[in-house]
Amino acid sequence: MDPLILGTIIKIVLVLAIVSALAGFGTYLERKVLAYMQRRIGPAHVGPFGLLQIVADGIKLLTKEDIIPQNANRFIFMIAPAVTAATAFIALSAVPLFPTFTIPEYFPLVGGAIVPSTISDISIGILFLLGVMGSGLYGPLLAGMAQANKWGILGSARTAVQFLSYEVITGLSLLAPIMLVGSLSLIDFNNTQIGGVGSWIIWQQPVAFVLFLIAGFAETNRTPFDLLEHEAEIVSGYATEYSGMRWGMFFIGEYANMITISLMASIIFVGGYAPLGFIPGWIAILLKVTFFFFLMLWVRASWPHVRPDQLMWFCWKVLMPIAVINVVITGIVVMI
Amino acid sequence: MNQNEVKIKIDGVECIAKEGEYILNIARANGIYIPAICYISRCSPTLACRICLVEADGKRVYACNAKAKDGMDVTTSSEEILEERKAIMNVYDINHPLQCGVCDQSGECELQNYTLELGIDSQNYAILDCKRESTNFSSVLHYDPGLCIVCERCVTICKDMVGDNALSTGPRDGAEIDKELKESMPKDAYAMWNKLQKSLIVPSNGTDQTNCSDCGECLSVCPVGALVSRDFVYSSNAWELKRIPATCSHCSSGCQIFYETKPTSISDRSDKIYRVTNEWNYVSLCGAGRFGYDFENSSATKDEKQFAKAIIALKEAKAIRFNSIITNEEAAMLQTLKKELGLKLINPEAKAFQSFLRDFESYRGETLYRGNYKEMMSESNFIISVGSALRHDNPNVRYVFNNIQKLNKGAGLYFHPVGDTLIESLGKNVTPIYHNAGLEEYALYLILDLFASKEELPKEIRTYLESFHKKSTKIVKETIMEDITETVVDEETGESKEVTKKKPKIVEKEVEYIENGLATLLNAPEGFDDIFEKMTAKADDFSMVVGEDFYVHPRAENLVKLLALIEKYTQIKIALIPPKTNSLGVALICDLDEKTDGYTIGYNENGDFRLSALGDGDLDMPALNQQEGTFTNMHKRVVPTNAALSYEGYELNDIMNALGLGERLSVDWTSKLPVRKGFEALSFDALPNGFTNAGEELRGYMLKQKISKPKDYEVEKPDESIQLKGDVAYRCNPQRQFNDFTNKAHQISEPFALYVSEEKAQSLGTKVKVEIGNISLELPVAVDNKMSGDVVKIPDFLSSKDVYSLFDKGRFKQVKISEV
Amino acid sequence: MNGDVEMNEKQRYITLDLGGAPMTPWCRFKRVVKRTFRIELFIGLWVTIREMFKTLFMGKSHTTKYPFEKMPISSRYRAIHDMLRLLESGHYRCIGCGLCEKICISNCIAMETRYDENQRKEVSGYTINFGRCIFCGYCAEVCPELAIVHGARYETASEQRASFSLFEDMLTPIDKLKEQKEFEGYGAPSPWADKNIKKTPLAY
Repeated sequence: MDPLILGTIIKIVLVLAIVSALAGFGTYLERKVLAYMQRRIGPAHVGPFGLLQIVADGIKLLTKEDIIPQNANRFIFMIAPAVTAATAFIALSAVPLFPTFTIPEYFPLVGGAIVPSTISDISIGILFLLGVMGSGLYGPLLAGMAQANKWGILGSARTAVQFLSYEVITGLSLLAPIMLVGSLSLIDFNNTQIGGVGSWIIWQQPVAFVLFLIAGFAETNRTPFDLLEHEAEIVSGYATEYSGMRWGMFFIGEYANMITISLMASIIFVGGYAPLGFIPGWIAILLKVTFFFFLMLWVRASWPHVRPDQLMWFCWKVLMPIAVINVVITGIVVMI
Repeated sequence: MNQNEVKIKIDGVECIAKEGEYILNIARANGIYIPAICYISRCSPTLACRICLVEADGKRVYACNAKAKDGMDVTTSSEEILEERKAIMNVYDINHPLQCGVCDQSGECELQNYTLELGIDSQNYAILDCKRESTNFSSVLHYDPGLCIVCERCVTICKDMVGDNALSTGPRDGAEIDKELKESMPKDAYAMWNKLQKSLIVPSNGTDQTNCSDCGECLSVCPVGALVSRDFVYSSNAWELKRIPATCSHCSSGCQIFYETKPTSISDRSDKIYRVTNEWNYVSLCGAGRFGYDFENSSATKDEKQFAKAIIALKEAKAIRFNSIITNEEAAMLQTLKKELGLKLINPEAKAFQSFLRDFESYRGETLYRGNYKEMMSESNFIISVGSALRHDNPNVRYVFNNIQKLNKGAGLYFHPVGDTLIESLGKNVTPIYHNAGLEEYALYLILDLFASKEELPKEIRTYLESFHKKSTKIVKETIMEDITETVVDEETGESKEVTKKKPKIVEKEVEYIENGLATLLNAPEGFDDIFEKMTAKADDFSMVVGEDFYVHPRAENLVKLLALIEKYTQIKIALIPPKTNSLGVALICDLDEKTDGYTIGYNENGDFRLSALGDGDLDMPALNQQEGTFTNMHKRVVPTNAALSYEGYELNDIMNALGLGERLSVDWTSKLPVRKGFEALSFDALPNGFTNAGEELRGYMLKQKISKPKDYEVEKPDESIQLKGDVAYRCNPQRQFNDFTNKAHQISEPFALYVSEEKAQSLGTKVKVEIGNISLELPVAVDNKMSGDVVKIPDFLSSKDVYSLFDKGRFKQVKISEV
Repeated sequence: MNGDVEMNEKQRYITLDLGGAPMTPWCRFKRVVKRTFRIELFIGLWVTIREMFKTLFMGKSHTTKYPFEKMPISSRYRAIHDMLRLLESGHYRCIGCGLCEKICISNCIAMETRYDENQRKEVSGYTINFGRCIFCGYCAEVCPELAIVHGARYETASEQRASFSLFEDMLTPIDKLKEQKEFEGYGAPSPWADKNIKKTPLAY
C-alpha cells in the first residue's frame, strides 16, 4: 500500500482515538484545574490522583439509560449529538498536528508508512476548517429543537444567534493573517513562522489574535460565553433532555472543538509545530495547545459569564468594527 | 363578733379569730405568710424550728404557739427576725448533703424552699459531722438521718394525729457547738442548733423497728427527703409526677388523696401510680390509703363477646349482688336497673346499714346523723366509741378519737368486746370497757345512766336504770396530810428548832357508795365511778361514734331506739361510721333487698355471672382509681374522685347504654342522684375538690339534712342471755386491709388469717380450723400484738371467701377452734 | 442611627462608590473603553492562578476528605447526645434527677431509676427517642451534672434509630475515658464561674 495512504489511515485512527480520549482527559483536567483555582483538590480518590475518575465517568455514561422524550423528534434527537461530534472530528482532518514523519521499517505491518502532518493537506485548509466548524452549529440547534422542551428551544435559539455572530468575528480576525501569509493552507502558516519566536504572526497581528481567541471561546461555548446551556438560566439548554452517551457525545464534541481552536491558535499565531530552539516541533505544539487549553479553563475559573444582550452587543458593536479596522489597516500595510 | 372572738392585727391587717387560736393559724387563714417548718395544723406546736418567730406587741414570740389576745398587734417580719430566720436556715444547711439532684424530696423540699426564699447564698457556720446511716423503720418506712433536720414533724403527727406514738427523738452523738457562738450568733438559731446537734429520729420502742400501723403519715409530713417510702425511694422525682386529685376508695372516711402518676417504664409508656400524697395539714391518711393504690384493672379490654353475654345475663338475672365499694353513680345505675328490669339488689352490709339508718332517722325525726367528725375533732373533749373496732374499721375515726385526747385534752370511753392496747395508750383519760359480746344494749343503758339527766328520762327507763344501783361498801385508800413535828439542828448557828412539816399519809377507810351494776356487768375497770368523775371533770362537749357491730346486731332495732334516747336526753352528738367505702351513698340511693335465690350477677362479689374490677370476672369493670365519680363519705359529704389510670374495657354505663338506659358518660349520673335523699343536682364538673388556707373543706357538697316528726317507740329491755361466751370470733379486717382491692396492692401484706392476741396465740398453733355453725374454715394464725383478750378476729376482705355470709346477723359468732 | 454607624465600623463594611449610570452616548463609549482597557480582568486571572499555586505547592487546600477527615465542630453544635463519665471513678455522671425528662419539649427522654444495693440511685434505664428529638439542647442546659451533653456525632444515618438511643450507646466507652472532653456548649459553667462561688467554712 502507498505508505502515504497507510500513514494517513494511521493518523486518522490516532486522531480519533487520542482526541476522543483527550476529551475525557479534558474533563479531568478541567475539574482538577478549577478545583485548584478554588482551593480544592478535585477528583482524588479513583485511581492515582483520581485519574481513573474518567474511566468511572465513561462507564457511567455508557451504561446510563438512553432516554428519548415522548414528544421528541426521535430521529433528529438521536443524530444531533453525532453531528456535533462528527463536525468536531472532521474539522481536525485539515489541521496539521505535528511534523510529517516516517514510521521506522522495523515496525511490522506499518513500517515505512509516512505519517503526514495533516490528514488531508487541502489548499483551502482554513476555509474548510471554518466551514466545518460553522456547520457544527447544527448539532446543538437540532438537538434543542428536536427535544420538545422549552429550555431546549431557548438553547438552540441561543446557539443560532451566538455561533452565527461569532463566525463573522472568527472569519474577519483570520483574514488579516491570511493576507500576510498569502495562503489558506495551515502548513504554509506553519512554514512562514519557522524562524523562531520572532517570526510568530502574533507580533504582527496582536489584535487579530485577541479577536480570534475571543471568538474561539464563543464558538466552543466556553465561559464567559457559555450561554447555550447555562444552568442558572435555561437548565441545560439544548442538552436538557439528553442523557447517557448521547449527552457524552456533546461533551466529546465540545472538547474536540476546544482542541481544534487551541491548535488553530497555535499554528496561525504562535509558530505551530516549528521547533523552538532545542525543543522539537511536536513538543512545542503540544505545549502551545496545552497552554491554550489551560487558558480556557483558567478563564472559566476567573471570569463571570455575560448576558446574551451583552454578548450580541460585544460582537457587533465592539469586536466586528475592530476586526474590520484591523483588516483595513493590514491591507494598507501589505499594499505599502 | 361573738363573745369568744378576738380582733388582732397582723402586719396591719385586721383579723378576727377565735380566742385561744394560735397566731400562725390566724395568719394562714387570712392569707398572711409566716414561715414555719415544724408546725402541723391540727397538731400541737413542736417548737423545734423556731422560724415562725414574730413580734407581738413588741415581744418576740413563736407564732405557732402564741395564742391571740384581743387587740394584739403582730409584726411578721423585721430586720432582727429576718436575721434570726436566716441564721436558722444557715444552721439547717450545715452538713446537709448537697445531693438535691438525687433526693426524692427535691422540688417539694421545704429546706430548699426556705433556703432559697431567705436568700441563703453563703455559709457562716461549720461543725464536725457524725456518722448517720440510713435504715428501714418498717416494711414501708425508709429513714435517711443524713437528710433529717429533726423538725420532729413525724414525731408530732404520729403522736397527735395517728396515735401510734411510734417515733421519738433519740441521741445523735453530734459534736459540741463552739461556745463562743453563743454570744456571736442569733439566740434562737443557737438554741435550735444546740437541740439539733443532740437529736435524731428513732423508733420510740427502743428497737430499730417501729411497731406501728404503717400509715406513712410521717413520710407525708417530712419536709426533706429523710423519711420516704421504701417502695418509692429513688424511683421518681417530684417534677416527673402528675398529681391527680381523687378520693381514697378504701373506707368510708373518703379522704382526699392525690394519685401521683408517671409512665411505668421505658418500654411501657402507660401511666402507673408511684405514690399517694395528701394535704397533710388538713387530711390524714391510713396505711391502706397511702400504700394501697395499685389495685387497677390493668388487663381489661373491650371483649365484645363477654359484653354480649353480660347483657343476656342481665336480662336473665333475678338479682345483682354487689358491695359498697362503688361510686354513687354506679349505685344510681344499679338502682335504675332495679327499676327498669326488676332486678333485686343484694348488698347485705349496706342493707344492714340502710335499715339501721332508716330506723335511726325515723325515731329521731331527722335524716342522717347529727355528729360531724370534723367538728368533733376540733371541739369535742369527750368521745365515746361503741360497736366498732376503731383501730381497724375506720382509721380516721381513730385519729379523731386520738386527736381529742391529745389536742383537746379530752377523755374517751371505748366500749368493745375485743381488747385493744393501742386505744388504751391514746391518752391517760381513755377508759376501755371490754364487755362481753352481746351486751351492747347494756353499754347504751350505761351511757344513758352516766350522761342523761335523770329527771327528764321516761320513768320506766329511770326505774330500770336505778334497779342496777346498789348500795355497797368498799375500802378506799386515802391520802391525808398529817402534821409532824421534828427537831432540827441549824448547822450554822447550832440552835435547835422545832419545825412542823406536813407529810402525806395513806389511810384505809371504809366508805359507803352506790355501786353501778351496769358497769360491773360490762366488766368496767374497778373504781369506774371515780375514773369517770375524773374523765368528765373538764368535759363539756360530748360525742359518740357508732360502728358496724350495731348495724348487724341481732337486736339492732332496740339499739337504734336507745341511741335515739341518748341523743334526746343527753348532750352527746352521735355519728355513725358507715361500714364500707360508699355504704352511706348506696344506702341512700339504692332500695336494697333481702337475699334471694336464682340467677345472680355478682359485681365484685360472688355470682353466676361476675362483673369484676379485680380482673378475674366474666366481664371487666374499671377499678376505682380508673373511674370518675363521687362517693358519699362518713362526713355526710359527696366528694368527687378522678381517674388516675387509663382503662380499656367496658364500664357499667356501657352496659346501661346497651340496655337503652345509659348516659353519655358515667359522670352524667352525678346530677341525677336523688335530691329527696339530700343529694344536689350538681354536675360532676361543678364539684370543687380542695381546702382553704384555714382548713375549710371545699370538696363536693354536704348532704342536706331534713327534719320530720319523730316516730313513737318503746325501748325493750335487754336480754342478757344473748351474750356470747367461750370461743368468740369477731369479723374484722387487719389494719390496712379493707377489701379485695387493698389486698391486691403490692405494699399491703397483711394476710388472710385468724388474728389473735399474743396470749391467745400461745394456745393455738400456726394453723387452725374454725367452725362457724356447720361450715369450717382453715386459717393460719397471725398475731396482732395490739390485741388483748380471747376473742379472735376473722377478716372479711376477700369477697371470694364470703366470710360475711358466715356471720350473717352479728359481727360476733360463737366458734369452735381446733388446731390443725 | 449612631448605633448603625458604629456597627458598620466594627464590622468593617466598605461602601463602594459605583458612580451614576452613563447618560449620554459619549459617556457610554467612555465606559466601554475604560472597561475594555482596564486590567481588572487580568487581576481576576492573577487571583485564580495565585490560588492554584497556593493549593498545589503550599498545601493550602480547603478540602476536608470528609468521611476520612472531619472538621472540628463547635461545642455549641447540637448533635447526638453524649453521656459523660466522671473522670476520677469512671462512673457515669447521671444522677437520675429526671430534669432532662421533665424539660424535654418533645417528650422524647425516658428514664428509670431505682434504689440499688449500695444505697445509691441507679439509673437503670435511659433512652432518647431520636425520632422525636428536635435537638433543642434543653436537656444539656438543664443537666446539673453535665452528664448529658450534645456530642459531635452528627452522622445519624443508621439502619434503625434505636442504634443511638440507649444509655450504653451514648455513654463514653470506659476504655476511651481518657479521650472524653469536657463539654463547653450551653449549660456548661461559665469561665468565670469560680468567681461566683463563696467559700464554705469547714470544721475539718
